[in-house]
Amino acid sequence: MDLFIAIFTGTIIAATPLIFAALGELVVEKSGVLNLGIEGMMLVGAAVGVWVSYAGLPMPLAIMSAAAAGALASLLFGVLALTFLTNQYAAGLSLTIFGTGVSAVIGKGFGSAPIDALIPLEIPFLTEIPVIGPLFFNYDPLVYFSFIMFGLISWFLYKTKAGLVVRTIGESPESSHAIGYPVIKIRYLAVMFGGAMAGLGGAYLSLAYTPLWVENMTAGKGWISLALVVFAAWRPARILFGAWLFGSMTILQLQGQALGISLPSEVLSSLPYIATIVVLVVISKNWQFLALNFPTSLAKPFRPAE
Amino acid sequence: MTNSSRREFLKYSAAAGAALGSTSLSNLAMADEVLKVGAVYVSPVSEIGWTKQHSLGVDAIKAALGNKVEVTTIDSIFKPQDAERVFREMASSGNKLIFGTSFSHGTPMQKVAKRFPDVAFEHCAGIKHTKNLGTFEAKYFEGTYLAGVAAGHVSKSAKIGFIGGFPIPDIVGPANALLLGAQSVNPDMTCSVIFLNSWFDPGKEKEAANTLISQGCDVICSMTDTATGVQVAGQKDVWSIGYASDMSQFGNGKHLTAFTLDWSSVYVNAAKSVATGTWKTSERWQGLSEGVVKMSPLNTDIPAAGKAEVKKAQAAIIAGSLHPFAGEVKDQADKVRAAAGGTLSTSDIRGFNWFVKGMVGKLG
Repeated sequence: MDLFIAIFTGTIIAATPLIFAALGELVVEKSGVLNLGIEGMMLVGAAVGVWVSYAGLPMPLAIMSAAAAGALASLLFGVLALTFLTNQYAAGLSLTIFGTGVSAVIGKGFGSAPIDALIPLEIPFLTEIPVIGPLFFNYDPLVYFSFIMFGLISWFLYKTKAGLVVRTIGESPESSHAIGYPVIKIRYLAVMFGGAMAGLGGAYLSLAYTPLWVENMTAGKGWISLALVVFAAWRPARILFGAWLFGSMTILQLQGQALGISLPSEVLSSLPYIATIVVLVVISKNWQFLALNFPTSLAKPFRPAE
Repeated sequence: MTNSSRREFLKYSAAAGAALGSTSLSNLAMADEVLKVGAVYVSPVSEIGWTKQHSLGVDAIKAALGNKVEVTTIDSIFKPQDAERVFREMASSGNKLIFGTSFSHGTPMQKVAKRFPDVAFEHCAGIKHTKNLGTFEAKYFEGTYLAGVAAGHVSKSAKIGFIGGFPIPDIVGPANALLLGAQSVNPDMTCSVIFLNSWFDPGKEKEAANTLISQGCDVICSMTDTATGVQVAGQKDVWSIGYASDMSQFGNGKHLTAFTLDWSSVYVNAAKSVATGTWKTSERWQGLSEGVVKMSPLNTDIPAAGKAEVKKAQAAIIAGSLHPFAGEVKDQADKVRAAAGGTLSTSDIRGFNWFVKGMVGKLG
């Protein structure tokens, strides 16, 4: 039972940074913009979070600063891609390179220094219930916040008029513009929201997951989030499922290694990637479903007619 | 020291190159001249870890030679193609002694060393030495053996967990020695191993430590470049063993000890011999007796008998009367690899591709 609890809670925690970053990118892509800079924004968020926390300021402020820093970093992409209409792939990649460098500079003073970590909540009464308590009621606040964000984003995109407008812009910015929606402004907001979420994902890594700053500590999680959005066919619930699948396979392969399963560690290490891609591709292989959810104007620059 | 960024370095080396324009580079450094030394690090100098320990070696040169030496360091150079450019820049801007600190610096250093025959190159974790390129490496396994002895005295579950980057001899060997040290106290000890298959992934390292703890391991040894393993063990209230630097500040009071690396003797000896013109290429593989591998202070909660035994084993290894891989050593398939009375050969130890008996894990 303890082993099951360890695998279950490990999965939830490992998936959290991916969920933040991927849900943010979902909103960006739903508005028709492709931002490949997730890794860079996560790193900036991670470094700024530790910076603020290291300066002795309270944890909520550190988390908010990380989100703000992610949003600020995303503006760099926004200006390039939305105002100057540069190629979105190139602008996103340059944001990743920029973010990697900037985060290294920010983090120079406290590399590998110990900091206070975001600790799991002790919910009175609930946390003490055997089995159920450790399974569901013993996470840090950001884990619960990621679930709240999942609910909010799903509701926003599919149940509100504003969400419909975002999705319409992702389908046809020309029509939306013709009806009178401020396409560029809304895309800016989406990009900044994506940046804030990536910043939160980064802060989760550096303040809760492995509470310290190390250069390049995301180790590719931004790219995994990006792939999740695509393989999940732009549906929030599938992103959640994909992140859990990836997290659980990571933990199961580690358990397998430690138990001495007779497979080389190299093979086991590749399992999470293979399993997640295969499963998500299989469940999303319906062309109609894909066409319905794919934002048609994705990565295409849009200039409003004068 | 100029702990410079790459940009600053290029500016600096351009200026130095101009200043040196008329001087002949082929002159060996004279005793009354300022010796220029360069070092290339693989990652930034942080509070702890591999690169921090190398930076302490560079500091030792400055302490030993004072104003007779001028040191330039460059950090975050990992890729061979970047490294080659940096080594060439360093050599052509008048540095007479240049340190490379990563296995990946090997091929570029060999290329550049050939072009600059009057510059001394020193390569840590290198495997091939040439006329003006020396190599040095630590006997990590002596440190893990002692840490294993300490682990054998505190482990209640008789299970150790080990986390490594890749299944290469320099990591498999220390893992084997860790278990052999523990088994010298309690023959029933086992050691579960997880390879991250990544040089750097703190998140995965955390999950690996959690996994090992969930399977009952109560001592975690993580031979990676972050303190994550020690940190997770501290949070879960199990013992941990640090690597490269003392990591006790991360261990929540459960940091058993760390096998630390002290390269200062290597750095200072190289600098002094280059300064006096007596430097010669060599291959060094040093451990406890040379002071390259050290043990950080033992946790005060280790039982007195255990502490005494670690000290005794340490003295015996230094004196040469104890070898971590002394026979009888059996592998996972119960085959005898070193008979009683013998020891594994150097090539066996440097080429480890098998686990000793009691290791839980599989090498591809």
